[in-house]
Amino acid sequence: MPLMLSPLTPASWPERHHVDLLAIPKEERDALQLAALKLRFARFREAIPALTTLVEKQGVDKIERIEDVMPICFDHRVLKNYPLTILEKRDFKKLTAWLNKLTTHDLTIVDLSGLTTVDSWIDRLESYGMVIGTSSGTTGKLSFVARSMDDMPGWRLAWMQAAIAGTGVNPHTTKLPTFVPGYRSGHQMAIKNGKQFANEMCGGEENRHSLYDIHMSADLMVLSGKMQAAEEKGELDKIGIDPVLVEQRRAIIEMGKNRPRDVQVWFEKMIHDFRGQQVRIGGLFADLYRAAQAGMDKGIKPDFAPGTIVVGGGGMKGFKDAPDNWRQIIEEFFGVERLCSSYGFSENMGNAQQCSQGYYHFFPYTIVMLMGPNGEALPREGVQKGRLAVYDLLAESVWGGVVSGDEVTVHFDDDCACGWKGPRVEDNIRRYSEMEGGDDKITCSGSAKAYDEFMDYVMGQ
Amino acid sequence: MSKVYTVPILSRGRVILPTEDDFLEFGGRTGARFRTPDPHKHVHDLVLGDAGRLIDLHNLPMSEILDFLAALGPRLRLSENPYLQDAYDLAIEAGGLTKPLMSTLYDRLPDMFDRATLEARVDRAIGLPYLDGWVPQADSGPGAEVRVRAVGCRHLHIIAGNVPITAPGTVLSSALSKGDCLIKAPSNDPLTANAVVRTMIDLNPDHPVTKHLAVAYWKGGDAFMDSEIIRTSRIDKITAWGGMASVQHIQKYLVPGIELLSMNPKYSFSIVGKEVFESDAAMREAATGVAIQAGKFNQSACASTRLVYVESDTDDDSIEKLIAFGELVYAAFQTLPDYFSTPADAPNPSLEAEMRAIESEDDFYWVKGDTIDGGVIVSKFEGKVDFSNELSNRVVNIVPVENWSEVLGSVDDTSQTIPIFPVSLRVRLREELAIRGAQRMLPLSTNLLDPVEAGAVPALPHDGNESLRRQVRWMIDQGPLA
Repeated sequence: MPLMLSPLTPASWPERHHVDLLAIPKEERDALQLAALKLRFARFREAIPALTTLVEKQGVDKIERIEDVMPICFDHRVLKNYPLTILEKRDFKKLTAWLNKLTTHDLTIVDLSGLTTVDSWIDRLESYGMVIGTSSGTTGKLSFVARSMDDMPGWRLAWMQAAIAGTGVNPHTTKLPTFVPGYRSGHQMAIKNGKQFANEMCGGEENRHSLYDIHMSADLMVLSGKMQAAEEKGELDKIGIDPVLVEQRRAIIEMGKNRPRDVQVWFEKMIHDFRGQQVRIGGLFADLYRAAQAGMDKGIKPDFAPGTIVVGGGGMKGFKDAPDNWRQIIEEFFGVERLCSSYGFSENMGNAQQCSQGYYHFFPYTIVMLMGPNGEALPREGVQKGRLAVYDLLAESVWGGVVSGDEVTVHFDDDCACGWKGPRVEDNIRRYSEMEGGDDKITCSGSAKAYDEFMDYVMGQ
Repeated sequence: MSKVYTVPILSRGRVILPTEDDFLEFGGRTGARFRTPDPHKHVHDLVLGDAGRLIDLHNLPMSEILDFLAALGPRLRLSENPYLQDAYDLAIEAGGLTKPLMSTLYDRLPDMFDRATLEARVDRAIGLPYLDGWVPQADSGPGAEVRVRAVGCRHLHIIAGNVPITAPGTVLSSALSKGDCLIKAPSNDPLTANAVVRTMIDLNPDHPVTKHLAVAYWKGGDAFMDSEIIRTSRIDKITAWGGMASVQHIQKYLVPGIELLSMNPKYSFSIVGKEVFESDAAMREAATGVAIQAGKFNQSACASTRLVYVESDTDDDSIEKLIAFGELVYAAFQTLPDYFSTPADAPNPSLEAEMRAIESEDDFYWVKGDTIDGGVIVSKFEGKVDFSNELSNRVVNIVPVENWSEVLGSVDDTSQTIPIFPVSLRVRLREELAIRGAQRMLPLSTNLLDPVEAGAVPALPHDGNESLRRQVRWMIDQGPLA
């Protein structure tokens, strides 16, 4: 049966069942995506100032093929191309003016009086209908994705559709108690999504159980680099940072040290409290493995109801001694048939779900492109490896074209044994930032890498 | 498919070539590949377990060592030395410098071995009498029977490969300090040290200097190699370039009794006073100076300027002047001679992306150029770009500062070379810079020839320490001699 998806309203596509969405053949899907992309370009090119500038600079006047959009996709760095110092100094006027160039909405009407923290700035923007998510900004520099309530309907539907596709459990009808081995709230995108879709996914915040019942402050992420530097000079009390933040930082560092133990203790409690119930267990695979191994050593046997799902990510990064069969150990311990996983990033609303064959399939509302080493578009056919670029057709108030920082291998042809169509990504995603620098080259000049390596060393990794 | 180079292990006068049963292949990220004998099988050829075997070099007068080095110099001409030609080709493939610059650096090799220069250098850094014998510490009285001697010891050098003169420099400092030296070559320049020492073996494989040099490549972090080599019974001192990148692998083997000379990574920046805006001539002089300081070795060295702090307000008029200065710097990059600085062979994709990402932010930045031809980023507020650690391929960031206090606050042990305009500002700031850790202050001038690099002054400190002097140990002999 034809789906009758309209290129005018891509944000409504996730109304459809994922089985239908992932059954659209390549030719039809490409034509639909191209038609929708043309309309998005026409609608946004004058409406988003940063896009207008980029379009002029690149001299792109029309989109005739999907690849034509690549030169005017924002490099992911564009979403953090403000000077860090305006964030550290909390110059909200400049920060708002900067953000205003990335959205269709007019942020000049936002009252910026009385703001003292980045969190309060985000809250203020959200009181005007914006929905602001940040990256985790390990270096202290956060990316800001300036969505709005206009994006919410499509975003929510896509989130739920992805959950059904990825886990087989339909959150429209089955609200599962959910385990979150992390922070309860925060504006970092992954944490934010957990909270903002709590009603849809778990039937309310009271059914979401987090390891730490605290808010992850954006200010803390912003100031962590500066505080680290000040602490090394013994001047942490002299740089004018709110003592509350200093205390929060201390507490989080302390928590980080105790985290492996906390995760174990917490899982033991959850296993006990939810005996016999169907639940959704989230988290990093490394944490889940740690919990499983510790539980097995203690002779604990979870007894969750059938239909329980484990949704993880992150591989075994930072866990050198994990055995090759860590997946099996997690599956056996929690009593699930397979581990569910998805792939996505803050700048794109439709997460790709891992299929039975281990590939991540994107839905038709995410246009998948690959960039070659010289910035050129790679052919959207066969198997290709390059930098992932996407156009997020769900985006209603931001430009959906983004070049990611990930190197991926994509199979463009609809030939996956799982039965789903749509471009699929191999499970070997790598971050360019982690690959650059080369192996074993010694130089006398300083670099960011030297600092990162120093931090790894200090952290004992 | 690129050529596979042969990198033998050199062990105390012997050349150990890879064979069908004994080889490992390594590949540089950029494609250069090389083959060496398995270092695990030869680790005992590399270290000197018995320090007593240093006696030959210890007893050899410095004049003979200098003669030998001076004889080696003329054999290190790139055009005539096939080993160096291979090293050059491989360094081009594996390293980050363009051909004209690499040629300039290799062409310096014979001069590095000039006898008079070396003699002056070692005499100044250590003192020839101290290397050749026991020196009484007083003319008369009890001190006259107390004698001190500088004694060579066993070194491991983990050298840097971004500039190929580190390798011959290491060979020299080892010979001049009568030391035993194992060089761990870097993957970005695996052959230069090899070429120098191999030429030495051809000259005389049995000379005590040759007998105390070993060169090998193994992958950084090879636990077997580290644990076999870094023992108090086999090594006395380690010189490690590259800071954490090289030290993190070996730190667990460092025990009291092994001295670490850490040549950790450095940053360099320029300082320009408000006098620059007083005349066109001043603008041009400082701008050319910046281009020279950033353009040298195509900004690949620790001494290369990356940030340029300029005393300036941030109102529109001031920023306009700052941009005019930036234009002059960019123009000056284009006029630097090929032997000194060239466009890059390939872009730096990460930095290029950062530049393109801020280009649209004209409220905060002015951007000109790219990572091929060089570039200039002018900050329109008091603050450097957030990717300042990535600045390379002749891209500088010009940052306005109201006063010097913030700049001084950022100076530390990693601040190496600080060119300053005008002279009066250098004289005014040098004490404040030095006490915070800055290691070298000099003028921002239009002169391409740097007297320090030209060797006009022998035995200058490097990175704030006298590394040649630290190669030896200082021993005491006291009492009557008969």
